[in-house]
Amino acid sequence: MNRIYILLFILLCITLPGHSQEEKQDTPYSVNEGTMFGLGSSHVKDTYLSPFTYSGWGFRILNERMKIISAGDGRISRQQLINVDITSTQNPAENVNDFGGFVDYSLGFHYRFNLTPSFRLMTGASGHIMGGFLYNTRNSNNPLSAKVDLDLNLSAIIMHYTRIKETPLILRYQIDAPIAGVFFSPDYGESYYEIFNTGNLGHTIAFNSFHNKFALKNYLTVDILCKGFTLRTGYLNSIYYTDNNNTQTRIISNTFLVGWVKEFVALGGKRNKKRQKINSSFY
Amino acid sequence: MKQYISYKSFLLLILSLLLGCDFSNEYTQSPIHNFKALWEILDENYCFFEYKNIDWDIIHDEYISYIHNDMDDDYLFSTLSMMLNELEDGHVNLFSPYRVSSYEGWQYDETLPFAFYTVRYEYLEDGVSGFDDFLFYKAIENGKIGYIYYETFKEGLHEKEMDEMFEELKNCSGLIIDIRDNGGGSLTNSDRFASRFFHQKTLTGYIQHKTGKGRNDFSEPYPIYLQPSHSILWPEEKPVVILTNRRCYSASNNFISKMGVLKNVTTIGTPTGGGSGFPFTSELPNGWGVRFSTSPILDIHKEHTEFGIDPDILVKISDSKESPSLDPALDKAISFLLTGK
Repeated sequence: MNRIYILLFILLCITLPGHSQEEKQDTPYSVNEGTMFGLGSSHVKDTYLSPFTYSGWGFRILNERMKIISAGDGRISRQQLINVDITSTQNPAENVNDFGGFVDYSLGFHYRFNLTPSFRLMTGASGHIMGGFLYNTRNSNNPLSAKVDLDLNLSAIIMHYTRIKETPLILRYQIDAPIAGVFFSPDYGESYYEIFNTGNLGHTIAFNSFHNKFALKNYLTVDILCKGFTLRTGYLNSIYYTDNNNTQTRIISNTFLVGWVKEFVALGGKRNKKRQKINSSFY
Repeated sequence: MKQYISYKSFLLLILSLLLGCDFSNEYTQSPIHNFKALWEILDENYCFFEYKNIDWDIIHDEYISYIHNDMDDDYLFSTLSMMLNELEDGHVNLFSPYRVSSYEGWQYDETLPFAFYTVRYEYLEDGVSGFDDFLFYKAIENGKIGYIYYETFKEGLHEKEMDEMFEELKNCSGLIIDIRDNGGGSLTNSDRFASRFFHQKTLTGYIQHKTGKGRNDFSEPYPIYLQPSHSILWPEEKPVVILTNRRCYSASNNFISKMGVLKNVTTIGTPTGGGSGFPFTSELPNGWGVRFSTSPILDIHKEHTEFGIDPDILVKISDSKESPSLDPALDKAISFLLTGK
């Protein structure tokens, strides 16, 4: 029962914006923003388009913002992730292409446990929305498979602070997995003509949980703090699997990312300008 | 040992998920594997087995006897094409990088010869308007009758272009829509054109789709309504004749089925070719593509039109032999609109 209360509390945190109690704190928390670009492999199987797995490359842009919110006495952080993923894959015979485009956004809240001075565990949940498509260049009346998902994710982060010689390094491993939500899924031979031109939306919106969807994002980053500049490198393993209306979709990607991090105080003002010091929301 | 194997399989699955690798090799040129894949795709998705009284299992047993692993691609392609032709469906095709198979039996029938250039130079003469070589129109018979030739629904008109056309034909007392030899195209294009003739939301047919891999796993027929266009409409009191022939197929067949529900529409010519299954595309392990009918579109009586639609007034080939007319179906349409006969 307690778990349900914790879940409800986290959902409440997602839906209610934080109140500006920051003013009461002497030292404000920064917004930690990282932007990364990545290339990697992509494997796509969508039985609405083809019974086979298409393989190729993917390009990804990932923007992440983390901030300590006023509630929770500095122990709850808010994380926003915006992810753009473009893929180009080929069938096993290498004579047909699939192009994919996905945009997803998640808003999550984590409770921070400082296990040791150098280890931090963060657990929480996030709301996640994703829209995208797979386009098959050969198919005539079923060339497109649209994806729209709305999920509640569970999320966990482990951070470790270390140094190599004089250079501080911050290692972070994050795992996100949906536990429930809804997603768009045409019926087994249902055409988009029937859905959108005749308006038969009958079985196209499905409730999802572990019985018909399994998705996982494994996210590993290393922040290297140089003088006046923070480099972030990372690896993202993304697994997306759905099985609904006798139609299966599996999208798996492995992406290596590189980018930068900047820290800033979201609300400025004369008082903050005078400050010599801010608390990082990430480090 | 048993525990070890299951543990190993579990690790393989986790590794496969994380790395995205497929440990099974899906690509194969094996004739047997490609035959089985093709047969299975049709078995799980084709929508007219029962309606056409086709026993797909018997066809499997017959054709697998022709398949052997040392046959070359050309021979395999021809054999698979012959198997697909058993379905007698113009929406069923096999694609290889060098060949395309298609069943063409639907268009061979006792049909009136038709060539648009005869209409173009013998009936329309000068002053013909048109769009991009797929649609031509003109007011004929001293402006009494409008004539529209729509060659293919692969192409669509913009609303402004259609406004321009209907504005030019607005003083005509009757209209001929000539879609002979129109082999279909996009239902969106044919629906957009048809919406110029509907003055209220009207039931024009039903659609079904496969809900599973069983041969009779179909959804309930879902009604298809056509909404009137928000732009210029053809007056519902003015008669419309649609000229048809055996080569009216797919979206063109569907256009005739939908327009047929209107009281002011009469079809003249020969039966259409049919093609009422909405096609999907899939592929074989060797990369060849296959197209097949998967969603039946029914008329307002929930009847199939897969084998064509009979016209209201049949103009037979023998009629053209008895009269010296260059285009007996068009002459019949003009006579019908001018005299009601």
